[in-house]
Amino acid sequence: MIPANGFDRILAPLHRWIWRDPQRRVQKLLRFGETEIDGGRDLLRAAEVTSNSLLRRLYLVHATDEHRHGVLFRRRAAELLRASASSSASAFQADWLTPGGHGLDDLEVGEESDDSMLAFLHLSEKSAASRFTVYRDVLQFDRPTQEVFDDILHDEMFHMNYTLTQLIRVSPERHRLHLWRARLSRLWKAYLRLATALAGVIGGLLLTIQYFVVLPLFAFFAKRAQRQDQTGWTPVSPERNNNSLSRQY
Amino acid sequence: MKILGISAHYHDSAAALVIDGVPICAVQEERLSRRKSDAAFPLSAIEWCLEHAGVEPDALDAVVFYERPMLKFDRILTCALRAFPRSWRSFPKAMKNSLGEKVWVRGIISSHLGVPASKILFTEHHQSHAAAAFLTAPTRRAAILTTDGVGEWATLSIGHGERRPNGATSIRLLREIRFPHSLGMLYSTFTAYLGFKVNEDEYKVMGLAGYGRPTMVDKVRKLIRRTPDGAFSLDLDYFEFHSTAARSYSSRFIDLFGPPRNAYEPINLETEEGRRFADCAASVQRVLEDTLVDIARALQKETGLPDLCLGGGVALNGVANSRVLAESGFERLFVPPAPGDAGCAVGAALYADRIHFGNVDRDVPDHPFWGPSVDGIELARIAAEDGQRVDELEERKVIDQTADDLAAGRIVGWMEGALELGPRALGHRSILTAPHAAEMRDRLNREIKYREQFRPFAPVVPIEDADRYFELPSGGARLARFMSGVFPVRPEWRGRLQAVTHVDGTARVQALERDMAPRLYALLHAYGERSGIPVLLNTSLNLAGEPIVNRAVEGYSTFLRSGIDVLIADRTRVTKRGSLLAKRKEEAECSRSVAEFNVA
Repeated sequence: MIPANGFDRILAPLHRWIWRDPQRRVQKLLRFGETEIDGGRDLLRAAEVTSNSLLRRLYLVHATDEHRHGVLFRRRAAELLRASASSSASAFQADWLTPGGHGLDDLEVGEESDDSMLAFLHLSEKSAASRFTVYRDVLQFDRPTQEVFDDILHDEMFHMNYTLTQLIRVSPERHRLHLWRARLSRLWKAYLRLATALAGVIGGLLLTIQYFVVLPLFAFFAKRAQRQDQTGWTPVSPERNNNSLSRQY
Repeated sequence: MKILGISAHYHDSAAALVIDGVPICAVQEERLSRRKSDAAFPLSAIEWCLEHAGVEPDALDAVVFYERPMLKFDRILTCALRAFPRSWRSFPKAMKNSLGEKVWVRGIISSHLGVPASKILFTEHHQSHAAAAFLTAPTRRAAILTTDGVGEWATLSIGHGERRPNGATSIRLLREIRFPHSLGMLYSTFTAYLGFKVNEDEYKVMGLAGYGRPTMVDKVRKLIRRTPDGAFSLDLDYFEFHSTAARSYSSRFIDLFGPPRNAYEPINLETEEGRRFADCAASVQRVLEDTLVDIARALQKETGLPDLCLGGGVALNGVANSRVLAESGFERLFVPPAPGDAGCAVGAALYADRIHFGNVDRDVPDHPFWGPSVDGIELARIAAEDGQRVDELEERKVIDQTADDLAAGRIVGWMEGALELGPRALGHRSILTAPHAAEMRDRLNREIKYREQFRPFAPVVPIEDADRYFELPSGGARLARFMSGVFPVRPEWRGRLQAVTHVDGTARVQALERDMAPRLYALLHAYGERSGIPVLLNTSLNLAGEPIVNRAVEGYSTFLRSGIDVLIADRTRVTKRGSLLAKRKEEAECSRSVAEFNVA
C-alpha cells in the first residue's frame, strides 16, 4: 500500500468532486492514457541511450508497464464512453486543479545522466503513486475504475523502488544530492509551466481583444475579396515560376 | 556546391544534403528524436547530415527551406479574416503558433547554423514536391502532378519538367487548385471522422476501404464538386478545417454521414456501425481515385508525355496511384519513396541546385537509403550484455540461416545498411516473415505491431518474379519499386500468399531489383529455394506509435518488447532467450524490501 502525501489527502474532497462527473472522469482517464504512453516512449528512449545494461533492462520493463497503463486507462475510458453513449468533452476539465499522471514531457531524456534520470523518475513515480492512491480511494462509487488504479499502483510500487535502489547503486555517495536537485528541478519546471500557462492566457486575451477591435475592418475587405474568388484552376504565372528563392512570400 | 534542404514545422521534418548536384544523405527528424512524425526544427537531422558528409555549416553554399513561410502566414491570416467572427477561438492559437516560430525561419536557420541570411533560400511548397518527384526520377521529360493537404495556398499543382541535353533543367508549374479546395483535406477530414489521426493515419482509411463498399459515393460527391474547367471545389458547408482548429467536419457533415467514430473504440466490421465506417472509407477512396484519374488523364492529353511524376502526401495512396497508372494514359508513373513533406527537404535542395543556381543536371541514385547506417557490432555488444544468444555469421551464412528461420515460421527483424527516407520500410529496417498463412498476419498484428486487424501487410518479391504472383500492368514494376502501388495478387496464388493478400485480393507489393538491396534480394531467392515462393512479408521495424528504428539499440528494444524471434543487423544474429523482461522484473521485485526501507 502506498500512502498518499498530506497535500493530496487534503485535496481528496476536491478530487472526489471532479471524479464524480462522468465526462470529466472519461477525459481524465483519456489524458492519463496519453500521458502514460508518452512517458513509456521517453523511458524507451532512456533505455536506448543509457550505457548501463541493467538500467536498460529495467527501463524497458518500466516502459512496457507504462504502455500497459496507458492501454488500461484508455480501455476504461472507452467503456465509460460506451456506457454514457456520449463523446462530448466537458468544457471545464479542472486539469490544473488535479494534475494527472507522470509523463516525462519536459525532460530531455538524451541529455540526462543515469543518476539524474533515476532521481527524476523516482520523484515522478512517488508523486504519481501518491495521487493515484487518493484517486483510487475517492473512486469507491466506480469499482472498475478503482481496480484500474489498484492494478497500476502495484506497478508504481515497483517503479518507485527500483529507481531508488538503482540510484543508490549508481551514485552511492551522492544519491541524496541528486534527489534534492530533482526536487528543485521539478519545482522550477512547475513554475515554468505555470508561468507559460499564465502567459498563454494573457497572450490569448490580448489577441482576442485585437481580434474584435482591429480585425473587423480587415475581415470586411477579406470577405468582399473572397466573393470574387473563383473556384477551379488558378494559372501559375511564368513570373512565379521564376521568382527569386530569396523571398519568403 | 553544397546545399542543405530543410522541411519542418508541420509534420515529418527532415534534412537533406546535396553536394555537386547529388544527394549525399537525408534523414527524418523522427528517426533521430524517436518522436513519431516529429515536426520540430530538424536540428538533429541537420547535425547528422553535416557530420556524415564532413561539412561545416559555413561551407554550405545555400540552405533551402521547403516553403515560403510568409505566404503560408498570409493564408492562415486570410482564412481567419474570412471566417470572422467564427474564428475567434482559433485566431489566438493560430497567431501564437505562427508568430512564435514558424514565420521566423530565416532567423532560426541563421542562428542555429551560423550561416548568413543571404544564403537562406525558400522554394514554394509544391515546387519542392515537384522537384522531389521529377529530379529524382529516371526520366528526361515528364508531366508533374503534386497534391497534398495544403502548402502555402496551393493544394494541387500540375506542370511539367524537362532535362535538356545540354544539362539544363526546367520545372514549370502551370496551374493550381487553391486552399480550401483540397483533395488531401477531404481525405483527412474523413480520417478524423473515422477516428484516426490526421496527417498520420490516412493509410488506415485506405486499408479500411478494402472492407467496405462505395455505397456513399453520391454523398461524398456532394462534398466535392467538379468545376467546368476540370478542377474541383469543396462545398465548405460540410467542413470546418478552414475556419476553426477544433474540428475538420461540420454538423452538416455529421447529418449526412451519421455520428463520427469514437477513436477509442475498435472498429468491429461484424456490426452495422463498423460496416458503415468501412463504406465511408471505401466511398471517399473511390471519389479520390476518380478525381485524381480525371485530372491525370487531362494532363496526359494536354502534355502528350508518357511519364508522370507524382508528389505530395496524396501520392502515398497506393490504390489511387495504381488507378492513375492504369487509366490516365501515362505509360510510367514515378512516385519517390518519400513523396510527403519529408521528401521536400531533398526536393528543395535539388530545386535550388538545378533551377536557382542553374547547375548541370546529374542523375540521382534511384534508391531510398539515405540515412544513418546500422552497426552490427553495437547489437552484438548490447545483446551479449543481456545474455542473449549472439552469432557473428559469414555473409552467405546470414542469408541461409535467415532463410531457414523464415521457412521455420520465425519472425525476423532485419536491419542492414543505411536507413530509408520516407514512411516505407523497403528492406533496410524491416520485419520479415513467411507470407503464406493468414495466422502469420494475425500473429504480427497481435504480437508485434499491436494494430487493427483490418490493416494489410505488404509483400516483397524479386522484380523478375513479380509478374508471376501479382498482376502488374505495364509500368507497374516501376510503381512497385518503392511500394507505391497496389496490385491484384494472382488468384491462383492468393491461397499461398494469405498473409499479404488484402481482403479485396490486392497487395501493396515491393518489386525488388538486385542493385537496390542485394542482401534482401539474395534472401528472397534463398527463401524461394526452401519454400518454392520467393516472396516475403515485409513490414516496417517498429511498434505501433513509434518511428521506424534507426540504430541497432532501437531495433534491439523493439525485438525485446515484441514477438520478433530473430534480429539481424548486418552479420550479427540475435535470438531470444525466454522472456527477459519478465525475468528482470521478478529479480527487481526481490529487492523491494530494501527499497521500501529506503523510501520510508
